[in-house]
Amino acid sequence: MPLAGSLDIRPLVDGAPEVVLDERELKVDDVDILQVLYEVRVADREALVPPALNPTIPPVISFLVYRAKGSAFGPFALAQLRLTARSGVRPRAYLISARCDNPALAEVLAGSWGFRIAPGEISLRRFHDRVDCTVREDGRSILQVSLVDPVPVTGHDVQYPPGMHLARVTRGGVLKPRIVQVDSEYVFRRADRGRPELSHFDLEAWGDARLVPDIPVSASFAACDVTIANVRYICNPDIPASEGTEKVSDA
Amino acid sequence: MEFGLFMELSVPRPWTVDSERLVYENALEQVRLADELGFDYVWAVEHHFLEEYSHCSGPDIFLSACAAQTSRIRVGHGVIPCVPQYQSPIRVAERAAVLDIISGGRLELGTGRSATWPELSGFGADPDETKKTWDEFVRVIPKMWMQERFSWDGRMFSMPDRAILPKPLQKPHPPMWVAVTSPGTEVDAADRGLGCLGLSPGGFADSEKKVQNYRKRIQVCDPVGAFVNDKVLTVNFLSCNEDGDLGRRNGLKVASMFSYMAAQLLSAKEVLPTHSYPSEGLLPALRRESGSPGDAAKSFKGVTMGTPDDVADAIAAWENVGFDGINFIHQFMEVVPQQYVLDSMRLFAEEVMPRFKTGTAARPVAAGVA
Repeated sequence: MPLAGSLDIRPLVDGAPEVVLDERELKVDDVDILQVLYEVRVADREALVPPALNPTIPPVISFLVYRAKGSAFGPFALAQLRLTARSGVRPRAYLISARCDNPALAEVLAGSWGFRIAPGEISLRRFHDRVDCTVREDGRSILQVSLVDPVPVTGHDVQYPPGMHLARVTRGGVLKPRIVQVDSEYVFRRADRGRPELSHFDLEAWGDARLVPDIPVSASFAACDVTIANVRYICNPDIPASEGTEKVSDA
Repeated sequence: MEFGLFMELSVPRPWTVDSERLVYENALEQVRLADELGFDYVWAVEHHFLEEYSHCSGPDIFLSACAAQTSRIRVGHGVIPCVPQYQSPIRVAERAAVLDIISGGRLELGTGRSATWPELSGFGADPDETKKTWDEFVRVIPKMWMQERFSWDGRMFSMPDRAILPKPLQKPHPPMWVAVTSPGTEVDAADRGLGCLGLSPGGFADSEKKVQNYRKRIQVCDPVGAFVNDKVLTVNFLSCNEDGDLGRRNGLKVASMFSYMAAQLLSAKEVLPTHSYPSEGLLPALRRESGSPGDAAKSFKGVTMGTPDDVADAIAAWENVGFDGINFIHQFMEVVPQQYVLDSMRLFAEEVMPRFKTGTAARPVAAGVA
């Protein structure tokens, strides 16, 4: 039978952002995006995602890093650790945690889209032979990841599935745990792919020590315009998404 | 129209010592019945590492059992991954020839290249290379069958002059097919004179365009073998019952479970930025539907489920699109009882099949004649 998530979300709920569902969308032009994927080897795949979601075979983590020279909140960099998942038959990525170097934007990302986010210093540098990313927290490195030997591909070759973010949302006057579906649109200007290289990854700092990277999968680097759409769907994390999904506009 | 069974041999958890044996025995019982009822083909996939979804990693062995227990149904060995990390083309030619002999000349050979990350990475294959290696496989296999001794100096593999044995019973060689999921593969099939083995149910308009394109191109093909196989088959879910609601309900159980289990596997396209895999392979039509995770998977128009009349109507629509036949996924993960599956096949054969049957599955014909 399809694998179903069994992650106990209770320890995570207190730290989940409180989201106000509104019509806000965020459009950012000219964003550099590095995505690096690794398979993880874990005995209990089901325990990695909440019951609303389904794990994939095999589970794969992605380091997804944005760098924008400007936005309504000024320049920023955002680094996310995500895990491949399914919502029914649809590809999704479950957000483990994120870092952002722009506090004003981080507040908005948490409050409108449920990004579990903390301050961090993020460097994303593109060279002709590689793209390097480092993330530091309180002065200490928590991630060093690279794309090596880039070669051009097209934007159609790169995929970023919608994010699924554990948050707290007011329903019927009560704050309840909900998974917020974060849909983004990408207009690609260029894209490269290359070999992934992971030099340092502090699992504890990112929030799930079970996600030990195993097999390198792929790395891509793209330049595109990004629009994070307003939240359209949320779902109850404790039951399958096919049963526990609400359309925000119906609430 | 021709009709076949499409066997994934999926094995639901929890796995016991008997789980796989039961699935294989049920499948063999279905094949024996299909043979009696006049189905044209039984196809067995080749998949590796796809837990629950398909435990059919030795399809030639399974099909040998099918052949030994039947007398007329053709055995479809496919889709064989034409990827050298999985197997050498020599071994494909040899094993397929054995199967053709064992079956008394009933082999159909389906070729492909895998589309899932677990399989490609499990064998250490380079996804960028699979189109190229498939091309070389399909060029050399018919030569290996037809030439007494064969040598090759190619891009993917080379070999000195050797006799590749045994030779298949069918002369000049068994019909060859290619699995079509990615856009444009129907063109690859047509250009090489290969039959088109559709694996993704899609919409009528899209399918009609593909079939028309295939028919046009194959008129001027340069066949890789000694003859052209110009048949186009599609795939569908079969559930036929006098009680239409029960037929649809059970059919949707099979279809939904297939969709869920297929979706759970990481496709190559999903994790690799490569234009070698322009589609996600399994059920891209379902996957592409954006929207809520709570939306039920929409059922396709043209699914072969319901009463015999419902099923016949759907088949007629596919026939109008231009397909020569349909391979049915009639069971998956044992979600419907074996007796229901057998009854559905019997009713289909009694009530529906005669409306579409004009002959038996075609045998190989000389190049340029088909």
